[in-house]
Amino acid sequence: MSKKTYTRYGISFVTLIALICLLCLWNINSGSVYLSVQEIGTILFAGRGEDIACHIVWDIRLPRILAAVILGGALSVSGFLLQTFFANPIAGPFVLGISSGAKLVVALTMVVLLGQGIAISSVLLILAASAGAMISMGFVLLISSRVKQMSMLIICGVMIGYICSAVTDFIITFADDANIVNLHNWSMGSFSGIAWDSIRVMAVVVFMTLLMVFLLAKPISAYQLGEVYAQNMGVNIRRFRVALILLSSILSACVTAFAGPISFVGIAVPHLMKSLFKTAKPILMIPGCFLGGAVFCLFCDLIARTVFAPRELSISSVTAVFGAPIVICMMIRNRRSIS
Amino acid sequence: MNNDYIYTENMTVGYGKTPLIKEIEIHVKRGEIVTLIGPNGAGKSTILKSIIRQLDLLAGTVYLEGGPMSMMSEQQIAKRMSVLMTERIHPELMTCEDVVGTGRYPYTGRLGILRKEDHKKVQEALELVQAGELASQDFMTVSDGQKQRILLARAICQEPEAIVLDEPTSFLDIRHKLELLTILKNLVREKKVAVLMSLHELDLAQKLSDYIICVKQNAIERCGTPEEIFKSSYIADLYGITKGSYQAELGCLEMVAVKGRPKVFVIGGNGSGIPVYRRLQRQGIPFAAGILHENDIDYPVAKALAVEVVSEAPFELIREETYERAAALLKTCGQVICCLSEFGTLNEKNRLLSRLRTEPVQG
Amino acid sequence: MMKRKRFLIFLITGMLMTAAGGCSVDQKTAGDSLPEEWTDLTLEHSMKLLYANQFSIDYYTGGFTMIKINDGGCYLVVPEHETVPQSLPSDVTVIRQPLQNIYLVATSAMDLFRSLDSVDQITLSGTDASGWYMEEAKQALAQGKMFYAGKYNAPDYELILSKSCDLAIESTMIYHSPEVKEQLETLGVPVLVERSSYENHPLGRMEWLKLYAVLLGKEELAETCFNQQMDRLEAVMNQKPTGKTVAFFYISSNGYVNVRKSGDYVAKMIELAGGTYVPQNLDENANALSTMNLQLEAFYAAARDADYLIYNSTIDGELNSLNELLEKNGLLADFKAVKEGHVWCTEKNLFQETMGLGRMILDIHEILTVEEPDSSDVTYLHQLLWE
Repeated sequence: MSKKTYTRYGISFVTLIALICLLCLWNINSGSVYLSVQEIGTILFAGRGEDIACHIVWDIRLPRILAAVILGGALSVSGFLLQTFFANPIAGPFVLGISSGAKLVVALTMVVLLGQGIAISSVLLILAASAGAMISMGFVLLISSRVKQMSMLIICGVMIGYICSAVTDFIITFADDANIVNLHNWSMGSFSGIAWDSIRVMAVVVFMTLLMVFLLAKPISAYQLGEVYAQNMGVNIRRFRVALILLSSILSACVTAFAGPISFVGIAVPHLMKSLFKTAKPILMIPGCFLGGAVFCLFCDLIARTVFAPRELSISSVTAVFGAPIVICMMIRNRRSIS
Repeated sequence: MNNDYIYTENMTVGYGKTPLIKEIEIHVKRGEIVTLIGPNGAGKSTILKSIIRQLDLLAGTVYLEGGPMSMMSEQQIAKRMSVLMTERIHPELMTCEDVVGTGRYPYTGRLGILRKEDHKKVQEALELVQAGELASQDFMTVSDGQKQRILLARAICQEPEAIVLDEPTSFLDIRHKLELLTILKNLVREKKVAVLMSLHELDLAQKLSDYIICVKQNAIERCGTPEEIFKSSYIADLYGITKGSYQAELGCLEMVAVKGRPKVFVIGGNGSGIPVYRRLQRQGIPFAAGILHENDIDYPVAKALAVEVVSEAPFELIREETYERAAALLKTCGQVICCLSEFGTLNEKNRLLSRLRTEPVQG
Repeated sequence: MMKRKRFLIFLITGMLMTAAGGCSVDQKTAGDSLPEEWTDLTLEHSMKLLYANQFSIDYYTGGFTMIKINDGGCYLVVPEHETVPQSLPSDVTVIRQPLQNIYLVATSAMDLFRSLDSVDQITLSGTDASGWYMEEAKQALAQGKMFYAGKYNAPDYELILSKSCDLAIESTMIYHSPEVKEQLETLGVPVLVERSSYENHPLGRMEWLKLYAVLLGKEELAETCFNQQMDRLEAVMNQKPTGKTVAFFYISSNGYVNVRKSGDYVAKMIELAGGTYVPQNLDENANALSTMNLQLEAFYAAARDADYLIYNSTIDGELNSLNELLEKNGLLADFKAVKEGHVWCTEKNLFQETMGLGRMILDIHEILTVEEPDSSDVTYLHQLLWE
């Protein structure tokens, strides 16, 4: 590898980290309440306190920033894994039907429990979403062991999506409008109101999974040449498939459970990173996508909560507004290079 | 069996549960090239895919270096056997050097990072296939032939003791065909690599292989050395050739002979007749050829294309009867073409023939 | 695979950790006197409630008042200079007086605050200016005395904190977004979920006035207001039923007819006004909702011969004429009430003016007894006529 490529990688990483720091600073300085940079600095160093500004910084802004970083990164890495695995440029973290399964169980929970007047805690909703996501994943894993061509799995994922939507609609017919109005809100995704406990759990889950994904970097890059050559180079295809589906599903499930399904980040960011780094090597792409996803989500969350304050835009609409043009550009570029 | 590098014992292959070919026994020794030939759909690719474990075996065992492959770990197999298949690959944003570099994976550490010696081996492999200057180009931007060479370099880089190739020369022009197969031959000779491949180019298979296996209609019909297999009649039968013919001696194909009463008599020999025979065939004119010695180079082509050939035994002077026969035939033809400008002792009679009708050489 | 097993264990442990992460009860103990033990305090007397059954108010020694809301939690109101008692049960939320900056999401409570002359104490609202019908609320928002704090499921926490909010009054919709309630409590804002919509007597709804009065320390004013309303209704409530049947409904966007259940407060209001609510005996669907969807034919069967129809405009807009009603569904032309011209429509502000429920009962009585009532006599209803 030439010095030029090494320089490119170095600069890209440095840029990404700088952007994250910049956006974190920007995010922590924005909000309905004006706090000067000095004040924020003192609060951060002094630790938790009782006054309002402390609460604002520590309990409202900081957890939100961390959630955007962790979950945005998780989404992008999941998207990268699935795009490589299926060799499909528009595969995303929810292509295997993870979010549909989660939405189904959340709808069930809301309708059944709230319909009976039983109050639900946010933890219950998180667990419900995780359970739904895991069920979808289990289904996909089952099918993957019986199917030769992996492209069939995308069809399987789409079908799971349809089935879950149909069942969800079925459940909704038995519910009153009031009980499911929030289901729509849930399915748009939001970083609002995430508590420190959630941050701890998602940090553990996401970083452990990322570590394992990083250790899979070698088989993933073998897989970039196709299954035949990957197998010949020593990759156990069956185990690799299971590992990949499992890890990417856990990342997507984590995001869905804590913040709802957030669209476009997982599809757009890997492409952005590939054009930035001009390579698709997993060793670089895995950390690169994580950082890129964090930057993207921090930016979109900033816009979602400040542009029309006190109203909050749903994060999915902002990511779609920024993410869809990227996907379109990428498709056009691909078409041009093919012809 | 002991010194077989690849040995398939009683192997049954197929897709899913239906067996396609049963009881296959293939031996490939180190330093040997074994080629599978046969018509499309016969099952050559199926056999190769089963050996490299892309397809599951329905029965039987494949032995690699004496031990059964099913007991070996993926890495052990990777260090011993590399492949080059027909499927096109679509790596994203990988340079040619990166693609070749993937061949080093069985030897690199946990994260697959190439060390200095790995890079050296990559360079060597690239030099070997004469693709050094392509190293930093994006793989998807090079031509099919170049891609094939890069993939071969990748296979070489893996430092295998056996290489399995599925129609490696399909997309290549003749120069690159020769180059690729030369490289293979050198590998076999120098590093004593065992090569198992399938080829459509019969002429090359004939010249290159140490052993040929013929696959037809879901069975191994015959195996043997090229000398045993490459007989025109058998090849025609193997491939079910109905239109045209295959000349085993020369290793070339000829088109369908034009039938009918010969209108032209071609006096040929020493290779001069071949272009004329082919031109007449192209123009659809039935012709007769003579007098050709049976060891003349024109003889096989004449046999394939002419309505009638007057021939003489090899190394013999042309006898009187043969001459009479030729003269008679010549008189029935409307036209005579003499391709020879000089005549030697052995075919002096052809000079006489040519004087029967003095026509300038056409052609 | 070992890696996978290890990882799954981690995942499950991680998820259990969140479940353990509990909620915090804010215990501000600043005060002038020494803290007392909760168990030392004794119950002095309980508030007498005439119609409400979803809450209870208990007065304890030391000036502490305990508000218990059915299925909704316990709230201890601590007077201004008192210290919060120790050893309170963990499910009790402490509300300190005086309440200066209330975040009000439950719009139906605004009218009660207006009657208690306490709109000024509401600083944050979950509805913006266009969503309010009450003049006082609109004015306060316009003058910058009240602020819009975002939708109930995604409030602007920073704004809420910066205004030193001391109480959030939410409706039961908050149960769909449990994380918002939890976040508010973490930030130190007590959350009271009002359940007046679960009262099945309309006067019970109005009696929630007394609950808010306890929070604001204006119990006497509440008593007076409430008794005033009661006096006005006395005459109507003691009359014999008119025997007229009334249906109260609206047509939802997917073609269903949404009616009140037989035990609902609107049905009660109609009964109190002297009418009979149809459809009757609709309690088979025993869930927590007060309304249910009927197929058109079921409604047709039940209400075609009803004497009066009242259309509920609060969900999808007011109707101005019978033609508009028939546009919703042409089959209604068959109904007796339509043929006789006894169709009325509610005004949009009905459900926000909780104190006006008494007035509403009088309105219904008016339309049931007077053939062509004067429009000034009827406040919350207007008649639907042909264009």
